[in-house]
Parts: sequence; structure tokens; C-alpha cells
Amino acid sequence: MLHACVYATILLGFFGIIFKENLVMKIIAMDVMSTGVIALFVLVAARTGVRTPIVGILPRDGYADPVPQAVILTAIVIGFSIQALMLVGVMKLARDNPTLETRAIEKEYRP
Amino acid sequence: MTLWTIVWLALPLFVGFSIYLLPGAGRVLTLAVTLVSVAYATLLFRQPAPVELRLLDSFGVTLLADDLSAFFILTNALVTAAVVLYCWHSGRTTFFYTQVIILHGSVNAVFVCADLISLYVALEVIGIATFLLIAYPRSDRSLWVALRYLFVSNTAMLFYLVGAALVYQTNQSFAFVALQGAPVEALALILLGMLTKGGIFISGLWLPLTHSESETPVSALMSGVVIKAGVFPLVRCALLLEELDPIVRIFGACTALLGVAYAVFEKDTKRMLAFHTVSQMGFVLAAPEVGGFYALTHGLVKAALFLTVGILPSRSFKELHDRPIPTPIWVALVVASFSISGFPLLSGFGAKVLTMKNLLPWQGIAMNIAAFGTAISFAKFIFLPHGPAPNLAIKRGFWPAVLLLLLGLVVANVAYYDAYTLANIAKPLAIIALGWLAYGGIFRRVTLKLPQVLENFEHLIGVMGLMVMVLLGIALT
Repeated sequence: MLHACVYATILLGFFGIIFKENLVMKIIAMDVMSTGVIALFVLVAARTGVRTPIVGILPRDGYADPVPQAVILTAIVIGFSIQALMLVGVMKLARDNPTLETRAIEKEYRP
Repeated sequence: MTLWTIVWLALPLFVGFSIYLLPGAGRVLTLAVTLVSVAYATLLFRQPAPVELRLLDSFGVTLLADDLSAFFILTNALVTAAVVLYCWHSGRTTFFYTQVIILHGSVNAVFVCADLISLYVALEVIGIATFLLIAYPRSDRSLWVALRYLFVSNTAMLFYLVGAALVYQTNQSFAFVALQGAPVEALALILLGMLTKGGIFISGLWLPLTHSESETPVSALMSGVVIKAGVFPLVRCALLLEELDPIVRIFGACTALLGVAYAVFEKDTKRMLAFHTVSQMGFVLAAPEVGGFYALTHGLVKAALFLTVGILPSRSFKELHDRPIPTPIWVALVVASFSISGFPLLSGFGAKVLTMKNLLPWQGIAMNIAAFGTAISFAKFIFLPHGPAPNLAIKRGFWPAVLLLLLGLVVANVAYYDAYTLANIAKPLAIIALGWLAYGGIFRRVTLKLPQVLENFEHLIGVMGLMVMVLLGIALT
């Protein structure tokens, strides 16, 4: 069930990138997609249990797998910096193309 | 050697961020870093066994440096050095050199990594650095090209991450070898990421516009090395895993044909070179065992061609036919075109012979057609009129850069001198002669404009969905 929701999020984001006309909406759709991917990693990590993986007095089983979480932390940071970079680019583009319609922009800058 | 590997990997990033402390020394430092890479690649060639570095205990985060990496690292070093020489007198800011050096470092990182996550991080850093380099002129047009690039590459990398998660779920490891026995959908998603990044087949159709609309040095950098950051992991995986080898070879043959088909009909110099990059990546993939040498010669040649074409007065072949270009520049163009068509005495010859020798029987026809197409497309450069043209300003950095690359082509020729047998020499000569005949007889007069509709932004993203299906189909059979 959870898996289905995660994949649905990824797919919705993907279709958003294709079908949304506005460049900002496309970026948001990409964010939705990357949220789905992050959720997938969390889900993979929770396969062995959901307890926080810290050594202590608690029982030694049922821990979540720390590796995918560590990996996805890197991916989150990268994803957010890319998004920031894109939004800056879009802000500059918006000065001359206030509607930010992808098709119009594409036609204008085609050789 | 372990220590050297770590120092060499960290150096570009360290220097890149500290350039701002010594703003005047940007170009010198960048050049110095590329020299370190050359030294490291030489060191690597002399190693009897591959260098392997395990970074974390059992999750498969590893580095692996061998001969194959050495070829790619050498390409990266030489092309970056040539680009820095080209920009030497152009008064570029510290920002530009910072990006070049960081790009150099992250491309190097790709060439030694042997696991999915290091690869992911390196590819994303490459994406960001390339974005900043393309957008360096700050014009709206360059911004759009850069945004389009980053969009496509980031979407592909998201698919790749999903694949990586699935691989980890099955094998508890991120190493390339863990792809063995991974579910097919994971394989398809990971391959999609690499194919898109490497500009292979229809997922690589973002490449022509991006490479042709960037500034000259950035185009040279991208076509010369950055694109190989996507191709290298494919080659590495094909060598590590037997089941991936046929898939990679199929895509190699397909992309070689697709790229050359567009290149033959292209009337714009830079777009022609960009489509030709798509095709040449196919040659690298078609015979993964010897892909390293081919990548080296292609990197040198393509960077030299992009730099040379950048100073021509026009981008359209038609206009260039009406106006003679200066003879020295024509000679540089011809040497590079000869090498890429596989003419003896230049390293393109050795690379092509070596690749042809390592093909599977069913690939032979496709690759020979692709080589024939290459000869046709480069006849366009060879038969340009030339003569004294006084009023063409040549940048001061141009000749050092191009001479370095062309000299590299001649020197790399000795790497495989066994190629010089009569049969080996006769075949490329025949292909080139046929190509020129076909060019003179048919293609010179034909004006066929192939549709560019597949290069629309939405289609680029949509094709990814399509490619996942295709890859699933191939992987299942």
C-alpha cells in the first residue's frame, strides 16, 4: 500500500513535468517527484524495523537501516540546491518572459 | 597509491574553492590541477593491478582505478588544459575557472567510482557545474539552454535514484557488481539515468542543442569530457557484468547510426559536431573492452574541432562555402577530420581498428555504416574552400590549445602501432574514399531538413518514460 502511494507520487511528479505548461509548475512537479524518491528510500530503510538506529539500552532488533537514510540525506541536499539554482534561473528568465510558458520560451530561443 | 588517489581526487575541489583567495591565479591553478591529473593518469598506466579503495565497510561504496580509468582521466586532463589555454587571454572571471576546476574534479571522480551512490553525487555535481558554465554569459538564451539541461539531467537522475534504492533493497549494497541479480526494473531505471547522462540514442537528443548553443570553450569541454561521465559507468558496468554487455552493445550500435544519420544532413557546423558526438559515444559503447582508447581520441578530436569551428566567421556550411577560410585553420580542421574518419598516422585510426576488431559479428555492418557516415559528414570540413583571409581575428589562446590537442592525437598514435598492417590500412582508406565520393555525388546537393520535433523539451522528458519501457523489454528478454 505504502509502496503504491510512493510510486504514485513519483509518477504524478513525472507527468507534471511533462504536462504543466508553466516553468515554475514544472519545477514544483520535479520537487514532487523527488519527494516520492525520498519517501521510497525511507520505506526501504524501514524494511528491517522503524526504531531509530542508536546503540543504547533498548533492545537490539527492529532498527531501521541507517544506510539508505544517510544516502538520501545527501540526495535531499543536492536536490534542494538544484531546485534553488533553477528558481534563480527562472527568476532571471521571467524578466523578459513574464508568462514563463515553456513552449513560447522554447520557440523564442530556438536557432 | 591509495594516498595519491585521495590527494588527486580532493585537490580540484580544494583548489576550486580556494581560488577566491587568490583571484589572479585562477587560470594558473586550473592548469596546474590538470597537470596533476596527467601525472596521476601516467602513474595509473604503470600500475600492474587495479587500485581498489573501500570507503565504508560493507555497503559497496568503493573506488576502482585501472587502465580504463586512466584513459578517461587523461582525456579529461588534456581537454581541460586545452580549454584553459584557449581562455587564457579572454579575461574570464574567477567564477569561470572555479566552475571549470570543480567540473574537472567531479568528472575525475566519476572515472574512478565503482558504486551507484558516489556516481550519483559526482554526476549531480557535474550537472550543477555545467549549468553554471552554460549560463556564464547570463543571456536569456543561455539561461534557457542551461535550465533545459539541468531539468533533463535531474529528472534522469531521479529515476536513477529509484533504481539505486531497489538495488539496495535486494542486495544491501550499492556497488556496481550488486546489479547482478537485481530486479529488472531497477536495472532499467539505472540504465535510463546513465543513457540520458551519456547522450545515448534517443535519450541523448537533449545534447545537440545544449552542445551547439553554448560558448565555444564550454562546448569543447562538454563534448570532450563531460559527456563521457555518462558513458564511463556504462562501459564499466558492461565490463563487470556479463548480462549487461549485450544491452550496452545494442545501444552502442543504435546510437552510432542515429547520430551519424542526423550529422550527415546537418547544415550547421556546431550542430553537426554535436550530433556526431552522439554517434561517437556509440563507438565507445560498441566495444567496451577498448572504449577507453576510443574515448581519449574522441575527446581530443572533438575539443579541437569545437575550438576551431568557434573562430570561423559563420556557423552555416553554406556561407562557409562562399568565403574562403584561412589556410592554417583549414589545416587544423583537416587534421582533426582525418583523425576522426580513421585516417592512418593519427590516433583515430588505431582507435577505430581496435574497436572494429572487438565487435561482435552482428555489430559489424552497423558500425561500418556509421564509419562511412562519419567520412561523409567530415568531408564537409575537408572540402571547404581555403586561402588567404586577412580580416579574421584569431584569439591569442587558440593555437596553443589546438596544437596541444592535435599533438596529443599524433602521440597517442603510438599506443597501438600493431594496427599498421596492410589490410587494416586499406579498409579505412576505402571507407573514406567512398564517403568522399558519396559526399561529392549526393550529399553535397541534397538539402534535407530532418525534423527537430524530438528535441522539444516535453518530448525529451516524455522519451524517458518510453525508454524505461524499452529497457524493461530488453532486460526481460
